[in-house]
Amino acid sequence: MRSTFRLPALRRLAAALAATLLTCAAAAQDIKIGFNADQSGTGAAELGVAARHGFELAIEDINKAGGVLGKQLVGVIRDDTGHPPKSIQNMTELIDNEKVAAVIGPTNSGNALAWLHIPQQKKVPVIVPVATATEITRRYANEPQNFIFRISMVDREQVALLVAYAIKASKNQKIAIIGDATGFGQQGIKDLTEVLALHGLERAAVAKFAPKDTDMTSQLARIRESGADTLIVYGLADANAQLLRSMEKVNYFPTTLGTWGNMSTALLEIAGPKLSEHIIFATSIAENSSPRAAALAKRVRARYPKLATFVSAAQAYDAVMVLAAAMKKAGTTDGAKVAEALDTGIPETQGVVKTYTKPFSKADHEALEVSDFRLARWKAGQVTAYEDDITKTLTPADFKK
Amino acid sequence: MTDILQALLSGLALGGVYALVALGFSITQTTTKTLNFGQGEFLMAGALVAVSALALVGGKGGAPLVPSDVTITRYALAILVVLGFLAALGVLMFLTAVRPFVHSGGMSWIMSTIGFGILLQNSALMIWGPGTLVLPSPLGESVIRIGGAGIRAQELLVIAVSGIVVLALDHVLRRTRIGKAVRAVAANPDAAALMGIDVRAFVIGAFVLSSSLAGLAGVLVAPITTASAFMGLGIALKAFSAAILGGLTSPRGCIAGGFILGCLEAGVGLWRDEWREISMFLLIIVVLVLRPAGLFGRAEFEKV
Repeated sequence: MRSTFRLPALRRLAAALAATLLTCAAAAQDIKIGFNADQSGTGAAELGVAARHGFELAIEDINKAGGVLGKQLVGVIRDDTGHPPKSIQNMTELIDNEKVAAVIGPTNSGNALAWLHIPQQKKVPVIVPVATATEITRRYANEPQNFIFRISMVDREQVALLVAYAIKASKNQKIAIIGDATGFGQQGIKDLTEVLALHGLERAAVAKFAPKDTDMTSQLARIRESGADTLIVYGLADANAQLLRSMEKVNYFPTTLGTWGNMSTALLEIAGPKLSEHIIFATSIAENSSPRAAALAKRVRARYPKLATFVSAAQAYDAVMVLAAAMKKAGTTDGAKVAEALDTGIPETQGVVKTYTKPFSKADHEALEVSDFRLARWKAGQVTAYEDDITKTLTPADFKK
Repeated sequence: MTDILQALLSGLALGGVYALVALGFSITQTTTKTLNFGQGEFLMAGALVAVSALALVGGKGGAPLVPSDVTITRYALAILVVLGFLAALGVLMFLTAVRPFVHSGGMSWIMSTIGFGILLQNSALMIWGPGTLVLPSPLGESVIRIGGAGIRAQELLVIAVSGIVVLALDHVLRRTRIGKAVRAVAANPDAAALMGIDVRAFVIGAFVLSSSLAGLAGVLVAPITTASAFMGLGIALKAFSAAILGGLTSPRGCIAGGFILGCLEAGVGLWRDEWREISMFLLIIVVLVLRPAGLFGRAEFEKV
C-alpha cells in the first residue's frame, strides 16, 4: 500500500521541481518591467486599470514582434490602492526583489511624489503614464541624471490649452475660475490665473468648493453676477458632477471647461448622460481620434468592457513602446544606459497618442505637451473628441504657459 | 433676490440632513446621557445598505444603479430594510460599546462609540470598497422651479421628512405617557425603575431610534451626495454642531440648529467661500457663550 502511494508522490514532486527549474531558467532570460499604480482605491483607479491593460497589450505586441534584445518582456503588476505607503512598498519590492529593469506608474501624483527618490537612487528608469503634477519630472532635473520620465498630461500644459480655448470662446472676455479647496484645486486656480495674465486678462471671478460639497449654487450665483460667460473648473469628477447639477438648479450654463479628470464614470453616473455633455475637457487622445486609437480601444474594451478612460491605456501603451525602443538603442537593460538613451533620442517609434522621434531631452522629461493635447467631452456615455470652429483656429501661438 | 431664495432653498435641503442626524444625537443624550459618536458611520451604513438592497431587487449584480432601478415602492422597501438593519446595529452597539461603560461614570463610551464607527467604516471598505456608488432618486432628477430658484424633488423630500419626523418626535416626547417615561428615565433611572418603568427597554429603544434615524438620513441623502464609506464624518460633524447650536436636549432645537447651519452655509457662500465654515463655528461659539445649553435647550443644573 505504502509504496504505491509513495512513488507517484515522489514522481510528482520531481516533476514539479523540474517545472520550477524550467520557469526559473526562462525567467532569467526575460526582461521584467514593473507596473505600480492604483487599480482599486481612489477615484483615479479607473485610469490605473485602463493603463494596466495598455501596458499588458504593449508587452504582448512587443513579444509577438520578437521581444527586446532577443528576450521576452514580462510585466510585473502591483496595485498601490492609491495609498502612498503601499506605493512606496511596491516600488521597493519591484526594484529590490523582482529586479525590474524599469517601472511604469503611478496613477496618483501624490504617490509618485512619495517614492520618486527610490528609482532615482537605484537608477531605475520610470515612465509615468498617468499622474499629472508638474513637479514629478522636475524634482531631479538638476541631478547629473534624471530617471523620471512622463508620457501623460501635465497640469500646466492642460491649463495652457483650456485658457487658449476659453479666450476664443468667451464673447465678453469674462472668464471665471472655480476649483476645489484641496492642494490640487488651489494649484490649478493659481496656474489658471497666471496663464490668464500671460494673455493680459484678469479672472472675472474666482470661487472654491469643498471636495464633498453637493450644492454649489451660491458660488455659481457669484460667478453669474460677475458677468462671466466662460468657466474653467479645477476639481475632481464627482465634485464637477455636482457643479453641473447645481448649474441646472440656477439655470446658468456658461461654456464650461475642465481638466482630464472629468474622464471618469463618476461624472457620467452622478451628473447623468445629458448634463455631463456640457463640460469640455483636455485630453491627449480620444478613442475616435485616430484609427490606431480606435484599434487599441477595441482591444482594451474586449478585456475591460467598462473602459471610460482610454487615454491612460494609450499613454501606458506608448510608455512601454518608448521604453522598449530605448532598451534596443542602449543594447542593454542597465538603468543608467536606458535613461541616457531616452535622454538622447530613440529611433522613430510609432505610438498611439503620436509618433515619438525625440520625446525627451536632458532638460525636458515630458513627452507630451500642449500641442499634443486636444479637447474632448462625453457624448452618449463615451469620451469623444470635441471639435468646433474655435478648436480649428487654435495655433501654437495661442498656447501660453 | 432669486439668489437669496436659492440660497435659502439649498440651505434648507442641507439643513434637513443635519437636523435628522442631530436628532439622533439628541435622543440618546436625553435618555442615557451618552452620544453615539459613530452616528456618521451609521448614516453611511444606511446609504450603502440601501444601494445594495436596490441592486439586489433590480438584479443588477455589481453594475451601477440607473434611474429605472429605483421606483418609489422599491425605495420605500429599501428604507424599511435599512431601518431594520440599523435598528439591529443600534442594539449591537449599545450592548458592546455603551452598556459596559455607561455606569462606570468615565468617558470610555466616547472612545468605544468612535471605535464602533471605525469598525463599521472598515467593514464597509471591505464590502463595498472605497469608491462612490450612485443611488438615483426615486422622484427623478428634474429641477423644480420656485420663484426662479431651483430645487430637486429629493431635496424637498429631505426637508419634508425631517420636518415630519421632528414634529412626531416632539409630540411623543411632550404629550404622551411614553414621552413622560422617557423624561423620567433621563432624569433619574433608579427612581423611574422603582415606578415600574422598564428602564432597560427605554434605553435600548433610544439607541434603536437614534441609529434608525441615522440610517434614514443616509437613504435620504444618498441620491444627493452619492454613497461611499467616507460619506459619514463630514455630515456627522455638522449635525453635531447643529445639535450643540440648537440644544442637545431639545428635538426642536436640533432641527432649528440644522436648518440655521444649512442656510448659513449657503447664504455666506453668496458672499465669500472662505467664510462659510468660519461663520458657522463663530456662531456656535457666540451662542454657547450666551446660552450654554443651546438656543432651545434648558439649562441643566447638576446637584452636587
